Amino acid sequence: MKTLIKISWRNVWRNKARSIVIILATGFGLWGGIFATALMSGMIQQQFDSSIRNQVSHIQIHNPEFVKEKQAEYSIHNAKQITDFIENNEKVFSYAERTLVSGMLATASMTSGVELYGIYKSQEEITTSFKDNLIEGDYFESISRNPVIIGKSLADKMNISIGNRIILTFQDLNGDITSAAFRVCGIYQTSNSMNDGRNVFVKNTDLAALIGSDDIVNEIAILLHNIDNVNAFSEELNSRFSGNEVRTWYHISPDLSFMNEFSGMALMILLIIILFALAFGLLNTMLMTIFERTRELGVLMSVGMSKLRVFTMILLETSFLVVIGSVFGTIIGALTVALTSRRGIDLSGFGAEAMSEFGFDSVIYPTLDNMFYLNLAILVLITAILSAVYPARKALKLNPADAVRKE
Amino acid sequence: MSVIKTEKIVKIYNSKHLPVKALKGVDIEIEKGEFTAIVGPSGSGKTTLLNIIGGLDKPTEGKVFIDNEEITQLTDSKLIDFRLKNIGFVFQSYNLIPVLTAKENVSFIMLLQKKSQKEMDQRAEELLNEVGLSDKFNVRPNKLSGGQQQRVAVARALASRPKFILADEPTANLDTESAFNLLDIMARLNKEENITLIFSTHDQRVIERARRVITLVDGEVSSDEHFDR
Ligand SMILES: Nc1ncnc2c1ncn2[C@@H]1O[C@H](COP(=O)(O)OP(=O)(O)O)[C@@H](O)[C@H]1O
Ligand SMILES: [Mg+2]
Repeated sequence: MKTLIKISWRNVWRNKARSIVIILATGFGLWGGIFATALMSGMIQQQFDSSIRNQVSHIQIHNPEFVKEKQAEYSIHNAKQITDFIENNEKVFSYAERTLVSGMLATASMTSGVELYGIYKSQEEITTSFKDNLIEGDYFESISRNPVIIGKSLADKMNISIGNRIILTFQDLNGDITSAAFRVCGIYQTSNSMNDGRNVFVKNTDLAALIGSDDIVNEIAILLHNIDNVNAFSEELNSRFSGNEVRTWYHISPDLSFMNEFSGMALMILLIIILFALAFGLLNTMLMTIFERTRELGVLMSVGMSKLRVFTMILLETSFLVVIGSVFGTIIGALTVALTSRRGIDLSGFGAEAMSEFGFDSVIYPTLDNMFYLNLAILVLITAILSAVYPARKALKLNPADAVRKE
Repeated sequence: MSVIKTEKIVKIYNSKHLPVKALKGVDIEIEKGEFTAIVGPSGSGKTTLLNIIGGLDKPTEGKVFIDNEEITQLTDSKLIDFRLKNIGFVFQSYNLIPVLTAKENVSFIMLLQKKSQKEMDQRAEELLNEVGLSDKFNVRPNKLSGGQQQRVAVARALASRPKFILADEPTANLDTESAFNLLDIMARLNKEENITLIFSTHDQRVIERARRVITLVDGEVSSDEHFDR
């Protein structure tokens, strides 16, 4: 075996140019595959995290009626008991209570339909990234009476700036239309500009006064320490507090879980294409090698080299090519990922504006877990062996008498 | 008892257009220690005969016995093993593994026979000395002349201590001096070590070294002469 390895290794370097070409092709193919995968995973992961942090959270509780029809009157049953329970639960990282009404926002010249969130400053601050998304003004601090925070796309559309007065109009609990003046104290921006154009935030106490009740809780959003606990914890909530609808992130936002699965599939397809290309490259190289070495293989078989050994030799030669190529590709791939994951890749100018409509960030931080590299290594090796089998079998079929006659 | 015995060997190559009858019933018998030349013009069937005797190819009809064992019955994989243990081969050219040195090429056969490293080293060096290549142990084939390569091939053929050595036109690509040199080595091995050698040639210069000359014409033995030399 040792000599077989030695012979195979030296055979790899007989046609240096050809071996280097296939090694480079393997390497760059993997590099591309690794980098594309990391880029896409990073994008998906960021999108997922930002969706969770910006709007979805891990678990949301609503009154079932509220889910069907967003009316402020459909308050969560036993909201106080629920918040007491989650307040003291060790699985819970934080939670935020919200009152939610639909209404209209008006400036002197324009109106726009909005979703009005009555939030608690400190709860929201730790549960969502809302405060971090402020790009102008402050977090309900500079204005004491009826401050409001609106999204950048809404501010742009309606030409509103910090300190402006706006009128919010909505129905109170009795079904009467009420209006109140608010003053803009902050402008936020998330990667989802559609939401930014619609969601408007005021202090819960201000909203409670206007709708005429201070124990309306339409939504409780919960963030857990570990996302893997969502099922267990939502079941626990369901069994303890009946009458409410407890939903996990993947119920609230099926497109998020779809996106996770779909992107996994897309990456799989990309990898398969790369591996296919690799397989055909190898197949071609090895067939050429065998064709050129027909006579030599004939001599080897004539003097008593067994078929198993000839087979192994060709398998080894293929594996050497692939292993060198993949080590090379993986190293530059991993280096590229490591480098770009720290700095991020700024895609603005490459259509990132359009992508932000769908909730993608314009700076991508590529990421890959180590399992990916392991899986890739295994897949590549399997590909190598599979693509060596046909040429190796071809070598075995050689009749030594014919092979040694060949000039 | 003969080392090699063939019975009515017929070989028909089924080429696309018309079948070629390369051997038309060849009966030969070769004793241990003989030094035999198979001669005849190009296309007379020398290579075909040697391939069949060496178990590289199967006859269309007839039988081949090596030490009374009928090798025409053996399966392909058994034949490989049989060749490894019993027959040494020297081909016309490109005999050696290009990526191995002279010594590694000679050792290779013994390696396939699973000999110990020490035994391989010792015997490979001894054989290379015997064919006059004591200074070429670690040289690869492309750095050796044609004659030197053929001598390495002879050393390799001897390495497995075969029952006989088959050499198909071993001098065809050599200049006169190298050709005589190779034949001298073969003749000496035959005389001193009692090694059974069969070589084919259509080269008049080297025929006279053989002690037996079998002449093939159109796939048939036309003469079989013994010489005392
Ligand atoms: N593989 C083959 N297919 C068809 N015909 C062949 C094949 N090998 C040899 N022959 C034919 O068989 C005859 C004998 O060939 P060969 O044994 O090579 O003769 P020699 O070695 O004496 O030159 C020739 O006519 C040759 O063309
Ligand atoms: Mg011939």
